[in-house]
Amino acid sequence: MNRYAILEKTIFPLLAPILATIIRSAPLCMLEEATELRLRAGQPLMLQIGDKDYLLGSDGRPVTDLKAAYVCTREDLVQTLQIVSRNSLYAFEQELRLGFFTVPGGHRIGLTGQAIMNDGELKALKNIGTMNIRLARAIPEVAAPVMPYLLTGSGRVFSTLLIGPPRSGKTTLLRDIVRQLSSGVPRLNFSGVQVGVVDERSEIAACRDGIPTADLGPRADVLDGCPKATGMLMLIRSMAPQVVITDELGRQEDAAAVQEALHAGVSVIASVHGRDVEDIKERPFIGELVRHKFFDRYIVLSSSPTIGTVEMIIAVKQDALLLKRSDGVRECG
Amino acid sequence: MVIGAGTGIGFAIASRYSERPRQIGQLIACLTTLKSYVNYISMPLPEALEHSGAVVDGPVKELFERTGKLLASDGWLSPRQVLAGVLEEMAEKLVLGLPEREILLQLGANLGTTNRDEQQKYLAMVIAGLEKIEQESRHARDLNVKMFRYLGICAGLALTILLV
Repeated sequence: MNRYAILEKTIFPLLAPILATIIRSAPLCMLEEATELRLRAGQPLMLQIGDKDYLLGSDGRPVTDLKAAYVCTREDLVQTLQIVSRNSLYAFEQELRLGFFTVPGGHRIGLTGQAIMNDGELKALKNIGTMNIRLARAIPEVAAPVMPYLLTGSGRVFSTLLIGPPRSGKTTLLRDIVRQLSSGVPRLNFSGVQVGVVDERSEIAACRDGIPTADLGPRADVLDGCPKATGMLMLIRSMAPQVVITDELGRQEDAAAVQEALHAGVSVIASVHGRDVEDIKERPFIGELVRHKFFDRYIVLSSSPTIGTVEMIIAVKQDALLLKRSDGVRECG
Repeated sequence: MVIGAGTGIGFAIASRYSERPRQIGQLIACLTTLKSYVNYISMPLPEALEHSGAVVDGPVKELFERTGKLLASDGWLSPRQVLAGVLEEMAEKLVLGLPEREILLQLGANLGTTNRDEQQKYLAMVIAGLEKIEQESRHARDLNVKMFRYLGICAGLALTILLV
């Protein structure tokens, strides 16, 4: 499916009718490359390509004059939020607390507005003033170069920690790792394993009503919107996965749940924010997992020269460097 | 023929009095189900409305199902806009008085716009309001059904005598 067809299927139906009409009319070459759509009440409609933004006129064409741009109304945002939330804000309390929705296709819609606080904690957002639609880009076979380093050769999977700064492609890589582990990799003589996914922020599977909208293969079970620690233990008890996969470890209970899963003989593949292994070692809780070598593999990612660059792959227990960036492996971007 | 027509009119008016509490009772049943769908499984409104309509039959079932379907297909419309439109289209089929129509429109303005706790409280309040109206409508039914039936027959007879 080409990029325009993906937008037609997953993005345009989510927009207020007038916004959908304008963006549909934008030049095809811009839509093909678009990375974000920014809707701000009382401000021009903006389409972003990488670091550069373009104002769109009422006819969908890019304009440079602010006065010629289509100005988003509050009604446009209200209608868009009604569509995205299916007129059911009560069903998206967690999303409103976190400040974003993940929608089918894996696109993420960030929100800003008026914060409602309760006992010093953010309870929800109301009067939404900005919506930033970050357009996901599916990259098929993105995990192919790293798969040989994740498989033991005897049908098992190495426990692996993906380390990288924000926007280095960790979630994209994790999603394709899930798909390949669940579907099998014939070229590596790997027939697939039962995979449990704890998708606390709905970013890996982009579930709608509990069903993944991302292709995760036939052997993946997803706990959507569930805290990582609780979810990992639930999956182990109820679904007997051979691998548990989750995003962005950080809390004490996450580290404890990883240890418990490994003690139960289940492989864990997870990601963590960080520059490199040394950086992670200093972190509370997760640093403990690194210092005591709970994982078998570290995959270090960076966004330079492009998003999704594999800097290195380390065999932890052998203390061996399996791959370095000079070897020229780039997993996505 | 005149007696028959008078009787028919009387019975038609009487049947509206007897049908109204029945439909209000059905509304209460549907809204109680909706409250459960919202509260326990956070089911999105379009599906929750359709499922809630399934617990009854007749025009009230159609009201909930059509509202749910329209919200699913035209998501940019608010529940209030959709509900108002469907109520208007179904004005002939629904035997609802002004008080319960107003309550439904107020419900439409609040559905889906707040968190689960607030939705639950609001739905409970709407159900309590409808229960009160249901009691009043039952009282009105008991008073009026027999009266309009007799009135219809008597008016038919009176008109026949006058014509003769």
